[in-house]
Amino acid sequence: MTEMRDVGLTGAAVAPLGRVVATERKPNTPHEFHFWTALDSPVGIGTIVRVEGDQPVNGQIPQIYGIVVEGFSYTDLATPLHDVLGHDGTPGGASLAATHRAEIRLYTAAVLRQMPEEPLQPVPMGRVYLATDDDVWVALRMDGYLKGENPTGIPVGVYRAGGTDAPIYLDADFLIGPEAAHLNITGVSGLATKTSAIEWILASIFAHFPEKKGSVAAVCFNVKGPDLCFLDQPGQIDEADKSLYEKCGVPAEPFEHVQYFAPYKPDGFSLNTLRSNEQLLGNVSSLTWGLREVLQYAEVLLNKDDVDAKADALIDFIRERIVDRDFTDQLLGNKSYRVRSFADLEEWFRDVLSAMENKGNEGWRTHHVATIRKVRNRLSNISTRCAGLVTDDGGVSDLPFGSFQDRTVYVIDVASLEEDAQDLIFARVVTKLREHLEKRDLGVNHVIVFVDELNKYAPTDGQDTYVRKMLLDLAERGRYLGLVLFSAQQFRSQVHRRVVGNSGTALYGRMDADELATPGYAVLSPAVKIKLATLEKGQLMVRHPHFTQPIFVRFPRPAIMRGRDGAEQYPQAVDVELDAAVLRSLRTLDPSLTLGWVREAIGIREDEEVIRARNATLRERPADVKKFFQSQLRPIAVQHTPARPMAPAIRSAPTDDPYGF
Amino acid sequence: MSAIQPSSPTQADASFRAAVRLLASLMPEAAIATGSEPPLETLAQATEPPRTVGAIILEDPAMRAHRVFEPPVAQFAAFLDGTQASRTLYSCDDGTPIVHGTAAAVIRERRNMRLYTRRHIVAHRIYANRRRVPAWLWTRLAESGMELRDTAEDDGGDGPHPFAARDAAIHRLQRDREHAEHTLAEDWCRREDRPLLIDGGISGVEPVARSSCAVGVIKSHRTLYAEGDALVTIFALRRGERSSVFRVASDWRTPVASWYLRLRDRAGTDPMWGLVRVEVAHPDRAGEHTIGARADEVSRWILAEATPVSLPDARWDKMVYGVRDCEEFLRAVI
Repeated sequence: MTEMRDVGLTGAAVAPLGRVVATERKPNTPHEFHFWTALDSPVGIGTIVRVEGDQPVNGQIPQIYGIVVEGFSYTDLATPLHDVLGHDGTPGGASLAATHRAEIRLYTAAVLRQMPEEPLQPVPMGRVYLATDDDVWVALRMDGYLKGENPTGIPVGVYRAGGTDAPIYLDADFLIGPEAAHLNITGVSGLATKTSAIEWILASIFAHFPEKKGSVAAVCFNVKGPDLCFLDQPGQIDEADKSLYEKCGVPAEPFEHVQYFAPYKPDGFSLNTLRSNEQLLGNVSSLTWGLREVLQYAEVLLNKDDVDAKADALIDFIRERIVDRDFTDQLLGNKSYRVRSFADLEEWFRDVLSAMENKGNEGWRTHHVATIRKVRNRLSNISTRCAGLVTDDGGVSDLPFGSFQDRTVYVIDVASLEEDAQDLIFARVVTKLREHLEKRDLGVNHVIVFVDELNKYAPTDGQDTYVRKMLLDLAERGRYLGLVLFSAQQFRSQVHRRVVGNSGTALYGRMDADELATPGYAVLSPAVKIKLATLEKGQLMVRHPHFTQPIFVRFPRPAIMRGRDGAEQYPQAVDVELDAAVLRSLRTLDPSLTLGWVREAIGIREDEEVIRARNATLRERPADVKKFFQSQLRPIAVQHTPARPMAPAIRSAPTDDPYGF
Repeated sequence: MSAIQPSSPTQADASFRAAVRLLASLMPEAAIATGSEPPLETLAQATEPPRTVGAIILEDPAMRAHRVFEPPVAQFAAFLDGTQASRTLYSCDDGTPIVHGTAAAVIRERRNMRLYTRRHIVAHRIYANRRRVPAWLWTRLAESGMELRDTAEDDGGDGPHPFAARDAAIHRLQRDREHAEHTLAEDWCRREDRPLLIDGGISGVEPVARSSCAVGVIKSHRTLYAEGDALVTIFALRRGERSSVFRVASDWRTPVASWYLRLRDRAGTDPMWGLVRVEVAHPDRAGEHTIGARADEVSRWILAEATPVSLPDARWDKMVYGVRDCEEFLRAVI
């Protein structure tokens, strides 16, 4: 058969790969059409095609862009039974047939765009071509934000079909704001798709975010394992990945600027993170908060049963009148209190309660003794439940709010923390980000907050937690401030619909069949669902406000050390004694320090005092670490043992005394 | 291999719908066909009476069954079939029908076990008795560019009964269809030496009838070339058996060698179930002793075409799949 070659409207010689067909039973509509192809055509589910109509409309030949969403194949057999009869019931006989039955490849495509866009008509009969790079631009309306003086394209991957290898761009205005914002990714666990995709997109954003739109940073919550612990370490990628990086114009390198934050373990001096290897501690900081920081978010840690109206009033009183203020009360005699830490607060509670007991009072300043006891119990408990994060001494080591750097990733490792502590960290960090962005003094104009396991933090059902409320607020109002939520979860259907619904961009990795059976995926054709259920690693389905239909793309493996590899190459530091832990932390400031010096400096001091001095040094980051550290330690009074008065000498017997003994 | 482009259809749009539009424009008040009428071929009765004819047996002293022992082998390079469709466009005041007819034929070539169109012919024409059609109408039809066939000279074409005129049109169309088939067959035989399976007899055109590459397979048995015991022998053929080779000759056709072949085991009451008659070029006198071997060889080729079955066609017991494919193609293009 001679190959037909046509000259398309673009002028280039291209071969049509199919023809549009429509029947009364299966008509074309303005949003869907059908076409057939040769049996060996490269068309598949997700392929983008272009239809050239035959009849001009308003003087213009219509061009319709579509994406294949369903495929059919059948022969001229009326029923399968005919084939059985034809081979006498012996399947092996089929191979003896001299001729293959007439067979069709019939595809259904969803319309991506019609040119001209008005009048919107059913798709006409015409020739079907494989979309070229230019066609892909037009079909996905990328021409609107990739051309012109201020392009805002962020590569999300490469669309690949039948020889076409076109980078697909998201619109930064719709990814980071202000038009739309937020990104949500869903997919089964264990394929590293979600984390890898987020790492790749962050790298892409950092490489392509338009200068004119300002600065951007990312705050990532590492909620499990070592996933995000080695973002600054190079990983292994192959040639195929490199070509994808090249195609998308993203450097195949790890993140240049990464800052890690992790609370301490309950011992107060070992960092509670998988990135605790001494070689990597240079950009790891501790995350510790004191009473003031925590009290602002008491409702995160105290549930509604804990905090009734009375308890809430007392907490408010403590926050307003006690913490960080000089406080005296007639009941407490002339003693003056200045509560800065949980330890101070505990002392204050103790004194108040014993004073009430001594005087036989049931109430104090309208607060009943039972309420005071309850609040004391709950608040004191916080420092235990969040040990390592919340310090008794009031020392604060925090993210650099106010001096965030452009194109920097701030990773907060909460993987090993209790749920309460995770909630507290999330609530406080997001609130602080929001406050600073509102005041425009964060240091950057946009912050991307990445939260994994969203179905845990913002579930569809379950109680209305403070964290869920925050996430809803972030999803609904964050884009106006430049606060953008990138979220991930295994089951999108189990995430609050207002969170996922507000995500302008949605990515899908390989999906679980049960998840695909939920109503949220009803808009997808069965073929697209099957494709989603069998997606390879490195493939995503993308929904974006500019794309009228989901698009399948490939993205490269992040040029970052995988968490598992990092954990092997940089094993977690073993728990050590206090002196070694202090040395390990202070060495990040002054590598010349030795264990001997630390031991000498610490001497016989209490652990709390040493930790306080270490924390102060790390916060201050002084030029002379030794001097500063020593200055934070209270001097030890040297005990001078007075000299013993000389006892009078016992008279001794003359050596020649024969009776002497 | 060079592919032959499809023949050009008539310049003017001569399709049934174009003819209907034309007549409607010429006679707005007249009752013109709507297109929902069934083809005339389904209405006309077969005119050839069933009969048996004695034949000269070339292979054996008397008609007998031969088992085709060697396994089937697919050797046909292509398949040829034709079709026709006709509808009455308009009936004149005296009942004379103006018939629209389409004759078509195709060769579907097999490459890598799939069938592709090698060449096809589609011709639309208007058939009518010129003497009975108003002159102005004939003239206007001719001026439109449509090809007209005057059936006045055909058998019964000039009779007053409308059915006779209709049958004459159908017969004329049948000849046009056969002409299309012969054109394609001749072209193949002139250019190729690979075997071509032709649906129907090959004796109608001499170059084809004498070609070694043309094999005709006849499914209809209104004429049986056997009588008496020979007929019993043919009806008793079992699957994979053929009859002795005999000669089919008439005054107006080229003699060919023929035999009966059972493609499928006889089932039910029809003695001709799965039975086809095969025609190949008649051997010259020197080659007559090899005709048996030739019949075995060609029978193996045809038996190989028994799969895939041609269901859902009602004649699937006798129809090879390549011919069904030709019919499907023609159904799509006419």
